[in-house]
Amino acid sequence: MPPWSEFQQFIISGLALGGVYALSGVGLVVLYRATGVLYLAFGAVGAMGALLAWQVQQDGWPGWASWILCIVFGALVTLAYGVVFGPPLAGRDPLVRAVATLGLLLILVGAMDVIWTESGGAVRSISLPTDNGGFSLGNIQVTWTQVIALGLGVVLTVGTGAFLRYTKLGTAMRAMANDRVITATLGVPVRRVEAAAWFGCGVLAGLAGLLLADLVQLDATTLTFLVISSLAAALIGQLRSITVTFVAALVVGLVHDLLTPISALTNYRDMTPFVLAAIALLWVSRRRQVMTRSREEG
Amino acid sequence: MAQAYFNCVNANGGINGHPIKYYIETEQTNASQIASEAKQLAQTDHVVGIIGNTSIIECTVDHSYWQSLGYYIIDSGIAPECYSTSNSAAVNMGPRYSSDGAVQYALAQHVSKVVFDQSNVPGTTYIAAGPAALAAAAHVPITQDTTNVPISDANSVALQLVDQAGKDGAVVLNFTPPDALVILQAAQKLNIENNVKLWACSTPCNTDFLAQSLGSKWNDKIFVNAELTPPDDTTTPTMNLYKAILSQYGKNVSGGIGSFSQMGFTEAELMVKALESVTGSYTVASVNAAIKGLTNVNTGMLCQAWSYGSYSMHIPNNEDYTVTADNGKMVLAPNGGCTQISTVDPQIAQYVSLAGRASLDSTSNAGGS
Repeated sequence: MPPWSEFQQFIISGLALGGVYALSGVGLVVLYRATGVLYLAFGAVGAMGALLAWQVQQDGWPGWASWILCIVFGALVTLAYGVVFGPPLAGRDPLVRAVATLGLLLILVGAMDVIWTESGGAVRSISLPTDNGGFSLGNIQVTWTQVIALGLGVVLTVGTGAFLRYTKLGTAMRAMANDRVITATLGVPVRRVEAAAWFGCGVLAGLAGLLLADLVQLDATTLTFLVISSLAAALIGQLRSITVTFVAALVVGLVHDLLTPISALTNYRDMTPFVLAAIALLWVSRRRQVMTRSREEG
Repeated sequence: MAQAYFNCVNANGGINGHPIKYYIETEQTNASQIASEAKQLAQTDHVVGIIGNTSIIECTVDHSYWQSLGYYIIDSGIAPECYSTSNSAAVNMGPRYSSDGAVQYALAQHVSKVVFDQSNVPGTTYIAAGPAALAAAAHVPITQDTTNVPISDANSVALQLVDQAGKDGAVVLNFTPPDALVILQAAQKLNIENNVKLWACSTPCNTDFLAQSLGSKWNDKIFVNAELTPPDDTTTPTMNLYKAILSQYGKNVSGGIGSFSQMGFTEAELMVKALESVTGSYTVASVNAAIKGLTNVNTGMLCQAWSYGSYSMHIPNNEDYTVTADNGKMVLAPNGGCTQISTVDPQIAQYVSLAGRASLDSTSNAGGS
């Protein structure tokens, strides 16, 4: 086992990665709570937004305009999907609604593969200006992008929690999560509320895509399937709790990176999200069984 | 790029008046699809020669089939085991010998340790054997790592590599350009790129795209094995021809100037040389006899003369350059001129004992116009 000093530097990188996972995970949970849809195309939308941002930068667009384009793309594609396919699928099984988003994922991955081919040694990258600044913690360099990634995760979790609790729209979303039909009967404009949730989730998809393209890699496949780590965090939060999702995402990122210096485990660290999600789901299931049994005995 | 070269040849009258018809098949890393396409090319399209294969499994799937029909393939970017077959000869070195070249350059700079990291894919043990032999012969410790690709945690990978190498050590990467780039950029963002003596990389990093993405901070900091002549500062007739063909006929060549298009150019150049030597009709037998007979060809793109020949293995490109990033371009590194890959690598030793080393002194110029 390497000394503790070797692990310290991986805490920062793990927290930053976890922060972006949290961003995606919270977006997935909010959308699921409002619409009942597990949005599997989240990563692909962010990936295509980031590639579009890279493309327009090559064409001479200023950086800030390309970042806005990335976020707007994520928001519009997600909103369009939600508006067009949300209502007809609203009454279907949750599994059907989740699988339908795979269709969007496959279309976007196919389009990215055609437009931004990977052959010929072509490499692409997005660098945010915040990469060039930062500070040192001991002998560890922290970039502002890493701080932003973690900070955004915190702000978003707190902000979304407050939004759902204290605003009219948030209350409507929570009500829809409980019962869509009754909520509609009570006069809540269900479709408008759903559209707002889709739009918000799309903004987060664009934002996460941009940050992950900088922190991880501007690669369509990588960014598309990074959503799995966020999904694991969302599952640990049982697709309900934003706070648990946030904490789980940080733990996934931290454990993943802290396994790096352990030579016996380093090649298995990509399993971290699956292992943690499986442990959490088993624990939740076991806890339910115990509670049910004690209720029956009591 | 091979298609662009043939388009140029055809636009100038073809080979003795015959235009070259070039079939390109794209595979999806699917063995049954690859085998089926091979049969279609041979039995339906009746192709007389196979050149330009760039696939990680095509040779593994098809080489016995091609052998049974008498085809001798000129390829590049193939699986490591294909260098040990009698009917596949590459214009490039492949990952093992290219990694050898990168490690060899690092050792020549007197580094105290080598950390060699490559993609965690099948074949890594075979590739790692070369650098391990070179480091052992130089009495320099080497740490061998593998990293899952695509890389989702470049920061932790970069931190780990730099920690392992130490201040006077070298980090040597064997990855595709996107994966190598994310490790190098992560090191830069973490401000640890100068915490090792040097960074080195096998040939895939030899692309101006990578140099541009890295920027000037990596000038003279990263050293990349180049299996083919560095194109940016070279103005030989062959290099000028390559650039002219790329400009006029290669608008759709992905990646532009760089190793991959140079390989395509060289493969097509060798094929044209072989076709020009055919007397009589163009058949599978006559064309493949001509390909196999290519001897001491000065392609203008390699350090040494290129030969096919009747050998049980083929590593005809076993002498390399080393380039370094220079303000967005890859240029020849100090002392980065032609260097033979050491026979300390047992595979190179075996090939050299079979075929020797062909210098450029006793060569014939490749065709192409």
